[in-house]
Amino acid sequence: MIEWIRFWITAVLLVIGLISFAAAVIGNYRFGYILNRVHAGGIGDTQGLFFIVLALIVSCNAALDILKLALLVVFMWNTSPVSSHFLSQIAYYTDNELWDHVDRFKVRSHPESEEI
Amino acid sequence: MKKTFRRWLDGDIDLMENITRTAHEHDMDRDEIKKRKKAVSEIIRQREDSQSIILAEEKGFRIFYNIAAIISCVMLITVLLYCVANLPRFGQENVKATVVTQRYIEKGLEETGAVNIVSGMILDYRAFDTLGESHVLFTALVCVMVLLRKDWKNMNSKFEDYSSIRSDRYFQTEKDVILQTIGIVMVPCIFVFGTYVLLNGQNSPGGGFSGGAILGAAMIIFTAAFGFRKVDRFFTLKLSSYVTFVALSFYSFAKGYVFITGANGLDNHIPKGIPGAILSGGLILPLDIAVGLVVACTMYGFYSLFRRGSIGGG
Repeated sequence: MIEWIRFWITAVLLVIGLISFAAAVIGNYRFGYILNRVHAGGIGDTQGLFFIVLALIVSCNAALDILKLALLVVFMWNTSPVSSHFLSQIAYYTDNELWDHVDRFKVRSHPESEEI
Repeated sequence: MKKTFRRWLDGDIDLMENITRTAHEHDMDRDEIKKRKKAVSEIIRQREDSQSIILAEEKGFRIFYNIAAIISCVMLITVLLYCVANLPRFGQENVKATVVTQRYIEKGLEETGAVNIVSGMILDYRAFDTLGESHVLFTALVCVMVLLRKDWKNMNSKFEDYSSIRSDRYFQTEKDVILQTIGIVMVPCIFVFGTYVLLNGQNSPGGGFSGGAILGAAMIIFTAAFGFRKVDRFFTLKLSSYVTFVALSFYSFAKGYVFITGANGLDNHIPKGIPGAILSGGLILPLDIAVGLVVACTMYGFYSLFRRGSIGGG
């Protein structure tokens, strides 16, 4: 009985993680602009990884493996947003047409949006 | 078009500008105007022609690209499936192809003293191959240094002011708090993990190349977060060349000794140790360390040379 409950929890968590990864992949292909793509990729690296590792933690028995998987989540959650941050920072500093991709009517109050 | 319309709505540009400007020039000769109009229409026609050619070329290339992609994918899938179909069944004996493999699996632990068969293979049975690989890395570092290093020749060029472009300050970006915070937490962990992978190569997956790569990556992250000046305090060109030279020459002499004694049927007096312990596997652990140091120096050297043209300042 408990095995079945574990199995189903694992399956549901895996499916949620795979949906997140599918969203990341589709977003990477469908979006045209780099900031949108970085956002889509970040979903897979954080949310998808978290749910898949959670599923593996539920399904595995050894304590050492659980510790290693938890460390994996900690490591990825620390490093992946930093790389996303740098990608978007470089895009912000180097892209001259950044404000063409922003909804200008919403950000009218921004000082840089006036001069373009 | 939509963008132009919106800009016109916002008042940034004036679409009537051209018409109002030409209206002042009505006192020009009629023939002159006709000639000019003809020339302009000719230019426009030529440009449209060339643009349509370019568009057609792009379209044709896209079709060709799709077809070529499909064909190459199908060919690759066919080849791979054919190979898989011709593989021996799982568990089936295939004496011809597995003589060497069987020897490695059955006698590897006994002959090399390493639990990790891969380490035993690349650093004991095929140590000469690994020596060549390390020298390839060293040669690549030397070539990059020859091409990219800052010296008086490429600093005093007449054509461009390289000295200002390639100075350290040119690349000094703003200190990033996020990267520094993550770096303080992560870099020691990465260093410890790299050392673990390096020293445990004979007992678990890993070894010289992967451990050295992790160490080099940790140094690169540290440099990206805190700047070159902090790394220059301990990692200079002198240290890098000494470490590489000592590691490679130690590898060559140690392995040469083992090969010479082995080829002549002599005992090489290197203890194998207990399999599974850190100090086991004979020469595998020191050779792992040598290879790892070379790889780490090469990775950081590449980064430093490509980024600013020198290792360790100067």
